[in-house]
Amino acid sequence: MKGIVFNLLQEVVCKEYGEDTWDQLLDDAGLDGAYTSLGSYADAEVVALVNAASAALNLPAQDILRWFGRRAMPLLAERYPGFFQRHQDARSFILTLNSIIHPEVEKLYPGAATPVFDFSNDEQDRLVVGYKSARKMCALAEGFMTGAADHYHEQTEIDHPVCMHHGDEKCVFHVRFHK
Amino acid sequence: MVTRSVSSMSDSTNDPAAAPPDAEIARLTRRLKRETAARKEAEAIAERGLRDLFRRQQEIVLLESIAVAANEAAEVEAAMHHALGAVCRYAHWPLGHLLLAGETPGEALVSTQVWHDDSDGNYTVLRELTESIQFGAEIGLPGRVLSSCAPAWANVGAHDEAHYPRFPEAQRAGLCSLFAFPVMIGSEVVGVLEFFSPELQSPDEALLRLMGQVGTHLGRVVERQRAKARLMHDALHDPLTQLGNRKLFLNRLQHFMQRAQRVSNYQFAVLFVDLDRFKAVNDGLGHQAGDELIVSTAQRLTNCLRGTDLISRGRTESGDEDDVVARLGGDEFTILIDNIHNPQVPIRVAERLLAVLAEPFELEHQQVFITASIGIALSSSGYEDVQDILRDADIAMYHAKQHGRARWMMFDQDMQEKALRRLQLEAALRVALDANDLTVSYQPIVTPDDGQIRGFEALVRWHHPEHGQISPAEFIPVAEEIGLISEIGLRVLRQACACLCRWQHEFGCTDLTMSVNVSAVQLSEGDLVEQVERVLQESGIAHGTLKLELTESSVMADPDHSLKVFHQLKALGVQLSLDDFGTGYSSLSHLRRLPIDTLKIDRSFVSKMDHQEDKRQIAEVVVMLARTLGLDVVAEGAETAAEVSALQEMGSDFVQGYYYYKPLSEEAACKALKAQSGC
Repeated sequence: MKGIVFNLLQEVVCKEYGEDTWDQLLDDAGLDGAYTSLGSYADAEVVALVNAASAALNLPAQDILRWFGRRAMPLLAERYPGFFQRHQDARSFILTLNSIIHPEVEKLYPGAATPVFDFSNDEQDRLVVGYKSARKMCALAEGFMTGAADHYHEQTEIDHPVCMHHGDEKCVFHVRFHK
Repeated sequence: MVTRSVSSMSDSTNDPAAAPPDAEIARLTRRLKRETAARKEAEAIAERGLRDLFRRQQEIVLLESIAVAANEAAEVEAAMHHALGAVCRYAHWPLGHLLLAGETPGEALVSTQVWHDDSDGNYTVLRELTESIQFGAEIGLPGRVLSSCAPAWANVGAHDEAHYPRFPEAQRAGLCSLFAFPVMIGSEVVGVLEFFSPELQSPDEALLRLMGQVGTHLGRVVERQRAKARLMHDALHDPLTQLGNRKLFLNRLQHFMQRAQRVSNYQFAVLFVDLDRFKAVNDGLGHQAGDELIVSTAQRLTNCLRGTDLISRGRTESGDEDDVVARLGGDEFTILIDNIHNPQVPIRVAERLLAVLAEPFELEHQQVFITASIGIALSSSGYEDVQDILRDADIAMYHAKQHGRARWMMFDQDMQEKALRRLQLEAALRVALDANDLTVSYQPIVTPDDGQIRGFEALVRWHHPEHGQISPAEFIPVAEEIGLISEIGLRVLRQACACLCRWQHEFGCTDLTMSVNVSAVQLSEGDLVEQVERVLQESGIAHGTLKLELTESSVMADPDHSLKVFHQLKALGVQLSLDDFGTGYSSLSHLRRLPIDTLKIDRSFVSKMDHQEDKRQIAEVVVMLARTLGLDVVAEGAETAAEVSALQEMGSDFVQGYYYYKPLSEEAACKALKAQSGC
């Protein structure tokens, strides 16, 4: 997992719950917590942090990831405004996730295993988003999509009928946007 | 859902701001913040560096890939197609399109069907729309690039959206930005590459520079292809007329011939066109005028064929018109007439060509009249080799020339045999001249009243070691054509004069004459008078005893020149005789002006004149005419006593023929003189 994800998580947690909470999560997960955006760290570390938060809050790990994804979006927009300015709405932004994630991640960390999104339209106004990743962090992806909608001042309705956590090969989201 | 989870998380943690930091904590906190800020800045610097590096690498990959494709692509379109794909991959654009500049500057761009399309048909409507639009200057984004010669982009919602006719459809397909850049050669836009993006674009300097480099690479491909096309064109075209050359003509001919072998009832014709008297124009008016004449001829031939619906109909190739007319070199043109249904078609074309060439040409500020001879060969003769049909058209052209020029002739097998014999004759004649196989015979010319020999006509004879005697009627025209006549003429003249001189001395007959034939070619060439003068001096014959015989037609070919030469010859004391009189179309007024001494009645009037009244009457008229003009008359070809007595009766001064003597060898002639004991 990329260092940037740990940095974002730290920022989100510190911003909302203070730095002690972050320290506590690191202690609970048994991690030293020195993350740089240039580095790459074991997937197990992010899993341990999410699990620590899940245990502390007595909430499913999926909810933690969704919350994190949504809250991370404004921080990303601050760091990389260019990706957001090119689009007029969340749908257009989401359609280019692959082209943002892949080169941006690969340029920093050659050989990174990145998630793959696919898109299609099945009904009018409903975007079908496929997600495939060895990390199975579909909830994080869902959080990112909600966060993107927030950025463009839109609301989303997201269904998640097919999920890797239920043994499916990939996750499928049905997304509707409302202004 | 997310809001709920955040609030529950908030409940379970302490608020860090609640604990009041003492001074030490505050200092450490500040230090920590400094360190964190320094780390983030360092990370940002490193990320920027890495991002730049990555971008450079991508640029290099892109340019390399385009350069490789540019060098390897056989066709411009292939290189362009590769470039569209490479740029799309580089910039993550899903759709790219090629437009090419029109043939002439200022023309609208040609919206090609060359695309790079990553979608599964989502852009079909947009593509069809694009291909239907003529992008002239300022129309759409390509039009803007065409006018400005610079990259350009436009986003949906831009203030000048109205200028982009494809925006509504692009937007429907999920695209909201267009980017385009020119492919340039120097300052000329030869193509435009345009791309569509689902993201709003505002290209930075680096991208514009990169696309500029791509455009330059692609420009070189176009330039190289143009150079190649030019080379190909030059290799197959005549630089003076821009007509196809021999190579192109033979290529096309080969193609036609294969079709003729494959498709039954398919026929074509080859026309071989050669200007008559082109050399005269070249020599008389200069090479510049000669070149102008060739160019004008090429234009007339081309225009004439272009206006001929017979030519264009049924042609399956959509090639240039110039592949029909070719210039083989010099003043030789060839024309290929495709898909003819009967031999009348090439004949009609040939007649039309003769007519357009007969119109006067304006060269060096004067009107010049030129004719052409055309040979026609038809594919229906079942040729297998392109050289054969071309050769036969050439032979037919040669026959057209032989039959008086300014006409067409269709090839037939007889011509081929004649042509072959002629070629053999040519070679043999050169050998004969070297081997001194040409001899001179002397046919006595007598006065019919007393049968006394008054002179001789020197006749050249060729005894071929294999073929035996070859008639002068056959080999003299060959000698004329291959430029040997002057040498043969001089040899005969020299030999005949040497003989005459010996006889004049031996028999004391200083008025014994020698008639020597002069061909039309000798007359028109410059050195006849000098030759005669030299031979007269060398031989030492009595003054006024050499007679030169010229045919009516050779004199009349250029009467003014003939007159000039005649006066010079007369000044040397040479007598002049008009040969074959009555067979041509002499003008009597010209005849009166010519300083000639003798008229020869052609053997065709003499033969059987005692039976055929009309012949006799013509001969009588000739004799009367000679009397009126104060000329002597020699009748040739007298074979019977009846003919001789008729000639005697009408008052022919001299008679020559088998009745008296056949042509004799030098020794036999000498004996004959001796036998009549004096002159």
